[in-house]
Amino acid sequence: MATVLVLAEHDGTNPKEITFEILGMAQKLAAGGLVKALLVGENLTPMASQLAERGANEVLTFEAPALRQYTADAHARALSPALAAESADLLLLPHTPNGWDLAPLLAARFSGPVATGCSKIALENGKGRFTRKAFNGKFLHEVEIGGMRPLIATVEKGASTPCEGATSGTIRSVALESADLDARSQHVEIRKAASGGLDLAQAPIIVSVGRGVGAPEKLDVVRELADALGAQLGASRAVTDAGWLPHEHQIGSSGVSVSPRLYLACGISGAIQHVVGMKSSGYVVAINKDPDAPIFGVADVGVVGDLFEMVPALTKAIREAKP
Amino acid sequence: MKSLVLVKHVPDSNSVFRIDRAGAWVDQANLSFTVNDFDRYALEELLKLKDTGAVQEVVALTVGPAEAASALRTCLATGADRGIHVKDEALPAYDPFAVARAIHAAIASENFSLILAGLQAEDDNYTQVGGLLAGLLDLPYASAAVGLSLVNGSRLRVERELENNELQVLDLSIPAVVAVQTGMNSPRYASLKGIMAAKKKSVVTLTLKDIGLDAASLSGKLRSVSLSPPPKGKGAEMLSGSPEEIAKALVTRIREKTGVL
Repeated sequence: MATVLVLAEHDGTNPKEITFEILGMAQKLAAGGLVKALLVGENLTPMASQLAERGANEVLTFEAPALRQYTADAHARALSPALAAESADLLLLPHTPNGWDLAPLLAARFSGPVATGCSKIALENGKGRFTRKAFNGKFLHEVEIGGMRPLIATVEKGASTPCEGATSGTIRSVALESADLDARSQHVEIRKAASGGLDLAQAPIIVSVGRGVGAPEKLDVVRELADALGAQLGASRAVTDAGWLPHEHQIGSSGVSVSPRLYLACGISGAIQHVVGMKSSGYVVAINKDPDAPIFGVADVGVVGDLFEMVPALTKAIREAKP
Repeated sequence: MKSLVLVKHVPDSNSVFRIDRAGAWVDQANLSFTVNDFDRYALEELLKLKDTGAVQEVVALTVGPAEAASALRTCLATGADRGIHVKDEALPAYDPFAVARAIHAAIASENFSLILAGLQAEDDNYTQVGGLLAGLLDLPYASAAVGLSLVNGSRLRVERELENNELQVLDLSIPAVVAVQTGMNSPRYASLKGIMAAKKKSVVTLTLKDIGLDAASLSGKLRSVSLSPPPKGKGAEMLSGSPEEIAKALVTRIREKTGVL
């Protein structure tokens, strides 16, 4: 039996799906013990009820105007005293931009590291075994953490299914010790990254290009394939970071998520943050010179070879095949 | 304003990696090492602030073995003013909390207004040393920064990358710790002049004893158990032949499976 805390991520109105996934994982890990959701923000009662019905045995609410919008500093200052009082075995956060932002601030209070990006967790004798990825998804990495309480981990999307049974959890409002939680850190706004109007999310065909193209002047060979197919041009993070294509072309966790009927990956290794943005594509073709590239694990058909030989040949064949 | 950038000496991410004999990490032999890519963007951001006069000094710090000094030399040649190298065989460098504690102790007598780190290391992808250090220093923190500016010289405006093409804009009081995302700027390269100038710059090497820590108090809480290839998933049908033959086979499959041709 274990006590497991889950930080609930939400959009201000509803908990995000990953929160219910993590509650599902937490119920298994608690093995008959208690799962407590930590809900931070303003006007929390409706969301607290949802959590209490779908996986939490108790919901702790942290409510203050200064907590309405997330900042790591205010959230950490609100949560830390309560975390110490709960003496839980494990604290789970989502492996999202806000989850990986907050987790290390909390971990420092408990004098230990965070197991980040976990897909699988096991508890035994006060220690945790965490399965995660390293080297940008090239390897699965298992780590053991002990000697801290609670153990702290961030959990990947899709690592667990939500709770099956309903819970009838209780809701408890936590009194906040500090009045000036946002003294050092203030939210200003959320805005969309600059965009030139490209709508990859709706594109039926995407030809996507990665670091393997080597240089911006070599993009033309991929552009021609996109033209031949009537496809939109996507890119991996490496290509947009280098400025070879504008940011709006980036497909992945921090860019756009796409689900075209056909996705053609040229010179893309398939780092985890790219794959999460394209894995719901209908049919995936991958061309890469590295036979061990993770992209072949998610592709339907793969070609190991030089994209500067393969892509022009494919462009020609498609032009010939088109009526 | 004094500033610090945390850098890590990591294997080049384009390397062919092999799992070591213990099965717990990659074989370090025959790998070429470089400055962690995320950290290059962090350094550039500080050098830009120094160019504008907002920052007077840029210090680079690394925790790692003797070879990690080359990461500091790269930073100095690129424009950092001095280096701090925490180097001790007894330091459990595989534990990000131990690393953060060592950094915390090493900078105890400094007074940095701005500390930048890369969001994550390209090898372990732990995504936390900057945040752990902020927690130990009890300073405000923001991660995945893609924009950074000083407001009235007294606050830091940070743009954080969220999901789905969204950004959060927030203000932090100074001193602060920020972990930066790749792509936030265009990192400069070391010039020949910079490389020559770097030879005169100071790098201080500190052992655990120098920073008032000992191996027993810093014992690692995290250990790497195993490294393994990821499951192949459903696995792709792999095509072979001449480019023309493969192209023909691809056209057939695209037509049958997607109907887009």
